[in-house]
Amino acid sequence: MQKVNRGKLRAVASRETILYTLPALVLVALTIYVPFVLSGYYSLTEWNGIAKEPVFIGFENFKNIFAGNPAFLSALWFTTKYAFFFIILSNIGALTLAVALTRKYRLANTLRGMFFVPYIMSMTIVGFIWKFIFTQGFAKLAEFTGWGIWNLSWLGDANIAFWSVVIVGVWQSLGFYIVLYIAGLQAVPPDVLEAAQIDGANGRQRFFKVILPLLGPSITTCIFMSLTNSLKVFDIILALTKGGPGGATYSATLEIYREAFQNNNYGLGSAKAIIFFVIVLVITQLVLRFFERREVDL
Amino acid sequence: MSRNRLTKKQKTSIQHWTLVIGMLVVALIYIYPVLLMIMNSVKSFREVLLNVLALPSAFAFENYTYVIEKMEYFRLFLNNFVITMIGIVGIVAISSIAAYILDRRKTRYTKLLYILIITPMLIPFQTIMITLLKTMSTIGLSGSTWGLGIQYWGFGVPMAVFIYYNFMKTVPHEIDESALIDGAATFRAFRSIIFPLLQPVTATVIVLDVMWIWNDFLLPLLMVNGAPSTRTLVLAAYNFVGQLNTKWHYALAAMVLAILPSVIFFILLQKYIIEGVVAGSIKG
Amino acid sequence: MKKLVSLALAIAMLLSLVTIASAADQVTINMFISQPEYADAVRALIDAYKEIAPDVTINYETTQNDYPTLLKTKINAGECPDIFSTTSGKEIGVYLEYSYNFADEPAAAAMQDSVRAVMMSGDEVHGFALKSNYFGIVYNKAIFDEVGITEFPTTTDAMIAACEKIAAAGYQPFSTGFAEWWVYKHVFQHFLNAASDNPAELVSKFIAGEAKIKDYPILYDNFFNFLDLAVQYGDAKPLETDLASEESAIGIGKAAMILGQGAWVEADIMNIDPEFQLGFNGYPVSDDPADCKVVSGSDQALRIYKDSKVLSSVLDFVNWWYTSDYGKNWFCDVAGVIPPLKDVKAPDMEVIKQGDALSATVGAGPVSVSYSTDSFHQAFGEILQAYVGGTLTKDEACAQIEQKWVELEGGN
Repeated sequence: MQKVNRGKLRAVASRETILYTLPALVLVALTIYVPFVLSGYYSLTEWNGIAKEPVFIGFENFKNIFAGNPAFLSALWFTTKYAFFFIILSNIGALTLAVALTRKYRLANTLRGMFFVPYIMSMTIVGFIWKFIFTQGFAKLAEFTGWGIWNLSWLGDANIAFWSVVIVGVWQSLGFYIVLYIAGLQAVPPDVLEAAQIDGANGRQRFFKVILPLLGPSITTCIFMSLTNSLKVFDIILALTKGGPGGATYSATLEIYREAFQNNNYGLGSAKAIIFFVIVLVITQLVLRFFERREVDL
Repeated sequence: MSRNRLTKKQKTSIQHWTLVIGMLVVALIYIYPVLLMIMNSVKSFREVLLNVLALPSAFAFENYTYVIEKMEYFRLFLNNFVITMIGIVGIVAISSIAAYILDRRKTRYTKLLYILIITPMLIPFQTIMITLLKTMSTIGLSGSTWGLGIQYWGFGVPMAVFIYYNFMKTVPHEIDESALIDGAATFRAFRSIIFPLLQPVTATVIVLDVMWIWNDFLLPLLMVNGAPSTRTLVLAAYNFVGQLNTKWHYALAAMVLAILPSVIFFILLQKYIIEGVVAGSIKG
Repeated sequence: MKKLVSLALAIAMLLSLVTIASAADQVTINMFISQPEYADAVRALIDAYKEIAPDVTINYETTQNDYPTLLKTKINAGECPDIFSTTSGKEIGVYLEYSYNFADEPAAAAMQDSVRAVMMSGDEVHGFALKSNYFGIVYNKAIFDEVGITEFPTTTDAMIAACEKIAAAGYQPFSTGFAEWWVYKHVFQHFLNAASDNPAELVSKFIAGEAKIKDYPILYDNFFNFLDLAVQYGDAKPLETDLASEESAIGIGKAAMILGQGAWVEADIMNIDPEFQLGFNGYPVSDDPADCKVVSGSDQALRIYKDSKVLSSVLDFVNWWYTSDYGKNWFCDVAGVIPPLKDVKAPDMEVIKQGDALSATVGAGPVSVSYSTDSFHQAFGEILQAYVGGTLTKDEACAQIEQKWVELEGGN
């Protein structure tokens, strides 16, 4: 029963491996890789997105970018700053709220829904409502409380606008990470928790020494997703500030979009997209590898 | 035990209620912008322009009746339903088993495959818009609701595989082996034993993806905006948004109507998640 | 649960199949245009046409957000709409490869000359318009009367004096709308018209890099001084006001004048205050009152796809739109816009009445915004936002504007 069947099993196994993973690969290739490679071709051209014939110019676009394209560089810097604060605020906030929402009480379900709704709101409406909150809402709060902070120009001042974008970005997607953390928390076996309680561990110790390590996969997922989502940030900026005031809040993807579609320079935009993709790939690979190593240790 | 000290039970009770009330306050503040949206959707246009923050003076429900008629709400609701249904079933089916195989059979091939499948999450949609429409148009997946549903398979699989893969690690290998020893083929083992154990994850993926697909804008705008027979609710709601003359009261009402089904779905499914997990833990 | 899922899936597939089986041997025109604010009116137009030509189906699609991006995507996928939108003037040339020259059609002749002028490439006519437009300062006559301004200030000094009077009476002279990128181009065109007898040629010079803003005092001094004046006498947080805030501010009687707007705001303002006394005039750009003119014309163009498979049907439709009784009256009665046609009645609106009166006496300037594309104008707006916000000096702003003109418009 041993040798012959093991060989057969292995053959079946590898056939199955291909069979069950092929649909995923094919679909992803068709909808994403193929268009991406095709648009890569355009990065070697000068094209306004409209003319029938793009003009082939080789690596001119890439030379342009590496020679120091100030708009692209400031967009990259903005994106880095945004990603940093977004990841920290989203994960700490989502985990805290998820812990509070997995206790058993009647309102838990409704509360969860309340935190999740912003995630599904359309960006234009999010932008509209928050614009009014930042301008008129805060003005009224300033009257009420007399605090200067409400009177700042949250959308009109180039430096403060960054924080407005971070606040709205975190607000809008927090529900997403809360759902992921709740799923992770619910997967913690209750008997392990009881055992820790019997051993005399208090709430905080239970959390940090028992729950947190078991949340390993959730944390990896959330950090990775918040990283990729914040690096790609686009919709929320377009809705809230359109990159303003005076071009102060352009993220990398918005800059690429502007170059390709607004400046009618699709070739240069595609080149920027490829460079940005490589940067993101490297960063996420490093982060993933770091977390995977930590998980093995645990 | 003096009369002034609280019993341990009373202390936990106070803690408990402080938490609940505290969370309620936080949630209300958090959701205030959404309340604003709903409030303004029942105001007249004039009132919206005058003061977005004020409570409505009268409830202009005609905004909703007007919008329902203009949007052809029920027809588009069906479109959304078709697209979302096809998308979800495909994503869950394809991703769950792919992640299972990728986690259990760690070879050079599968490790590379995993990276290939999740890397698309890094590619911003804007960079592939033009070539995407070209490609989809060529293979016939553009311009129809079912075609769009299939496209969502491609867009949803990376994240779903990522989530399933990371949770697959918590399912002990002993379960696989016992199933296989019993003589079950891989697929049977997966379907009857592993997949049910993944219920919380599947529920999570379904919730996240339904929210995303139901309310998506840019991809449907490219693919199905051409005719009411294929258009989605969110697209129709955007018709009220112009550059120079946005009819905010209609736009907001339309948006509320567009996202309402997905919110109801979320609340219902949340209950199901809890029940499913409780049932699962009792079974052991 | 499993049964429910399979049932739902079956229903979904069935429904999708049903929707496929509805084609017929009809002629289908694909109309994808911007300006969704006129969606209702356009649908009414299409319904009316359906009665005339029952075998023609018009698929009307409209969006404002991302319209140019979407259009480019469709064109490149080989799905160019039979009727699509661009801006007039410079963008006629940008999309020339795809648009049809209908100079010989009745529709071309029916257009007003000033409208047709910005739709042309050489002798060819490549665009038609959904409406003509008026651009200028919309102001509150009641406030002006109250503070004793009897004549609209048509010179720079008169405007400064007016602002002082209005501010002293406790009103806010301007609401600026500087959060919107397009406000700047609308204001700038008035100065451009005064800076040269041939603004189109001047813009070409800028695009070729042959002209400097510094050489034109009306642009270098007057325009920027006007921006400074607007900030000084305008909203507390200028970069935060958008169109909705402008309309709100003037409608409730807080602000006396709004900038960067035109005919399209009247309906909303009257909605806020049905008793509003609306005044309309040009921008005082210099010491010469004759330079204070409104701008009239069409900055948006509708184009016909050259290689359309249903070209003759499209032309029939467009000709009907412009020459039939229903079509001609549609502009005024259904859409509530200024008709781009000759000898057709216009809606009874203040901006139109006053604009017409001013055009007859002082004259109206051409729609110079159309001499550059929106690609440039968006960059232009951003640069001026930075100037208003204080992160760019005047000279830096001018240098960047000149550079953008060359960089963005030069190739086309």
